[in-house]
Amino acid sequence: MRVDPADSLSEILPAEAFGHSVPASLSAALRTDVESVVAPGSPEEVAALLRWASKTAVGVVPVGTGAHTYPRYPSDPFVVLTTSRLTEIGHYEPADLTLTASAGARVGDLSTAMAVHGQWLPFDPPDVPNRTLGGLVAAGLSGPLWAGYGQLRNHVLGATVVCGDGRVLKLGGRVVKNVAGFDILKPMVGSRGDLAVITSLTVRLFPLPAVDRLLIVEASDISELVSTARAIATAPVMPASIVLSSTSVGGRLLVRLHGVSDSVGADQRRLEEHTSVSFDIRNVYELGDLLEGERDRDITGEFAVRLWALPSRIDELLVAVGQIPGVNLTADVYGGSVRVYLPDNLSDIKSVLMRLREDVENLGGTIRALRVPAEVDAFSYFTKPLVDERELATGLKQVFDPHGVLWRVE
Amino acid sequence: MTRPLPSAVVSDLSEIVGRRHVITDPDRLLVYESDGLTAYRIPPRAVVLPASTEEISAVVEVLHRKGVAVIPRGAGTGLSGGALSTPGGVIVGMARMNRILTIDPENRIARAQPGVINAHLTEATSPYGLYYPPDPSSQSACTLGGNVAENSGGPHCLKYGVTARYVTGLTVVLAGGRVMQLGGVGRDPYTTLDLVGLFVGSEGCFGIATEIEIRLLPITEGVRTLLGIFESVESAGRAVTKIIASGLMPAAVEIVDGPTIQAVEASVFAAGYPLEAGAALVIEFDGTEAGLDLDADRAEGYCLEEGAIEVQRATDPEHRTKLWRARKKAFGAMGRIAPDLLVQDATVPRTKLPEVLAGIDDIGSRYGLKIANVFHAGDGNLHPNILFDRQNQKELELVERASKEIMQLCVDAGGTITGEHGVGLDKREYMTLVYGPAELQAMAAAKQVFDPDSLFNPGKVLPEVEGAELGVAMKASTVS
Ligand SMILES: Cc1cc2nc3c(=O)[nH]c(=O)nc-3n(C[C@H](O)[C@H](O)[C@H](O)COP(=O)(O)OP(=O)(O)OC[C@H]3O[C@@H](n4cnc5c(N)ncnc54)[C@H](O)[C@@H]3O)c2cc1C
Repeated sequence: MRVDPADSLSEILPAEAFGHSVPASLSAALRTDVESVVAPGSPEEVAALLRWASKTAVGVVPVGTGAHTYPRYPSDPFVVLTTSRLTEIGHYEPADLTLTASAGARVGDLSTAMAVHGQWLPFDPPDVPNRTLGGLVAAGLSGPLWAGYGQLRNHVLGATVVCGDGRVLKLGGRVVKNVAGFDILKPMVGSRGDLAVITSLTVRLFPLPAVDRLLIVEASDISELVSTARAIATAPVMPASIVLSSTSVGGRLLVRLHGVSDSVGADQRRLEEHTSVSFDIRNVYELGDLLEGERDRDITGEFAVRLWALPSRIDELLVAVGQIPGVNLTADVYGGSVRVYLPDNLSDIKSVLMRLREDVENLGGTIRALRVPAEVDAFSYFTKPLVDERELATGLKQVFDPHGVLWRVE
Repeated sequence: MTRPLPSAVVSDLSEIVGRRHVITDPDRLLVYESDGLTAYRIPPRAVVLPASTEEISAVVEVLHRKGVAVIPRGAGTGLSGGALSTPGGVIVGMARMNRILTIDPENRIARAQPGVINAHLTEATSPYGLYYPPDPSSQSACTLGGNVAENSGGPHCLKYGVTARYVTGLTVVLAGGRVMQLGGVGRDPYTTLDLVGLFVGSEGCFGIATEIEIRLLPITEGVRTLLGIFESVESAGRAVTKIIASGLMPAAVEIVDGPTIQAVEASVFAAGYPLEAGAALVIEFDGTEAGLDLDADRAEGYCLEEGAIEVQRATDPEHRTKLWRARKKAFGAMGRIAPDLLVQDATVPRTKLPEVLAGIDDIGSRYGLKIANVFHAGDGNLHPNILFDRQNQKELELVERASKEIMQLCVDAGGTITGEHGVGLDKREYMTLVYGPAELQAMAAAKQVFDPDSLFNPGKVLPEVEGAELGVAMKASTVS
């Protein structure tokens, strides 16, 4: 059952909060028809909504744009809360390299504002410009660039969050080093809305590199590129990212080098010596389309999963994936994770997933659903948290969302 | 007077670790009655030195069963009183947990016990061309476990980030001796909540980290070190702002102020800095050799624009060590000009450095206290060091009042009360300057998830609220 928000909430939220369009992919992710979303315009309105939900035992599903919500089952009844009206860029002090913005601000819009000052947020998960800052942080996504810059979690300096019961917490701050108190901000990153609704964030920015060079190697089969990719990942040079991807005609290895022109040139020469490979070279600032195409590939496909294993076992992961007919993939070679895009018309989906899970877990790795067709249960085929971790996570869920208004911890 | 542990408990502990490793002799306990913050002294009832996760688990089980609080302790270099005992508590020391368990160069990770000294990890991994970036100035003494508990930083954290960025997995012993595995490379970091991230920085209040999985980086090819001498700390601060805002990515940017320079030059560590200098700025670039000179040229230009009297540049290790000397030996040198030193720690937005430094100077003059600043300028992480004599009760009170004013000044400038040394015992009362009751309550509740009866390092980090420990009653020891 869904609650008609305009009926029940018109007393606590203004008219602007209602009548917003529902993102197309949201119903598929939530495995039920979503007819309306509520868009609060301030942290106070978010808090009012959550207090109401706690009192009336209605679930709240927080989303950013709603385009990248992971497949899950909301409790029944529920309302969808979008941060689409929380878009303000707050405090931006370029000389401090820090920026505070509301959770619904689009990363692409923030990038435009930052680029004026030669700065950026160095994260490149699929579709990053269209994601909201809150969605990016709630999903904990860094993209392959984390190799050179560290994970997103390390660059979130502060946040305002509204807990499941409507408590507003101001966590962290806007300085780059801060150890005042227990770091309850960290578990908010990657919490996917389990604990609280993030309403604003302060992040650390980086100077845009003077040179952003892309080194490319192509081969008729991705397996021919794996050893080169791993050699680069263990070379005494730190690339900004190392990505391996399958194409219709074979495989492609993309290595990004950031720095000034002297250092990037020297890094390239060292990598060439180290791997005995000569690269095709592009300047990302002039020719970024290829990179964006790789980053955003298959974002609308119906069926995608993400695998992880020790980086040194990425070849084995690729072998396991290679057994599935018609798959495409993008691998973050430094981090040991692979996005697998499965064909929509795959026959015998469940046994394919079952075998993949077994292979991946035998390697000590994990598998998670990004988008799965309706007939695939969102949990059965995917790696469960370790028992100990689950127990602690359940305890934390109690702290931040005592009435279980937000998602259940799975 | 601290009550000794009942002999039955001593014998239970001795059975686990051997009698030699259960310290109860009051003379030997003296070493453990304080940490790097010497203003406080509380002797523990006993110190236990286990050598494995299993032993730690068994020790914690025995103590918690009796309701005795456990205080984890690394090298005791902490500067916020975090490793201090509570009356009735027992210290569990990591001195024998000092093995590096594995080094995996393929995946660039190492696994180590918490008692491993920070600098020893890089020594062990350098044959593989790898190193561990966080480098607290105490790195030749402090332990990885202490670093995890404090989420420690260091000069090179400007470019490379603090401890949390490098800790990928943990084995922990929690309440009652329960052993748990958290995180680990090779698994999706968000299969569940970021528990490793939450444990890092928990100051020994959640449990004991008994094995630490750590990410390593390849050793950089080249280094350039600059030393800029300035007439005033404000102009050095302005040069820092300019360098950071220009898009350069220095590995470290550190300031040593005039009073510190004078202390160093008067000591055996004299580095040959001009005595009349108002500040010295150490700037370091590292990375691929080609391109470093270009970065160094630009930084040098900014220093000169902001009025640097001179700028020196080192390319060889010896010269580099010399340029760093005043920074590295500052604390040691200050120890020679005053009986006691309170190393303060706070962070402000980098652009606020000049005005905050002027404010600290003013506070020092008003209280008639000598304050010397040595700090991680690139991060806005200040260390105003207050020189005093602990025997002089009146001066001790002034130090406390000045400290509080400095904290308030930093918070008002948009900063926080600690950038890397932690809250410990020392800064509990300042927590309310940065957090309201809701945040403090949530932190207390998060601790309770890990430590329901508050038997790990009680009385630290969270302030007392109306005479009661926040969230959890501080349990009196049930051992008579
Ligand atoms: C001269 C000097 C310079 C310093 N420079 C820096 C600096 O540049 N940057 C910086 O960040 N700090 C610095 N410090 C502070 C200090 O060295 C760090 O906080 C360090 O991490 C403490 O490590 P330790 O092993 O001495 O821990 P201890 O002082 O023994 O303990 C610190 C805290 O950690 C807890 N703890 C210890 N081991 C464990 C464990 N295994 N599991 C759980 N909890 C544990 C203790 O209970 C305590 O709360 C400096 C200190 C000195 C004296």
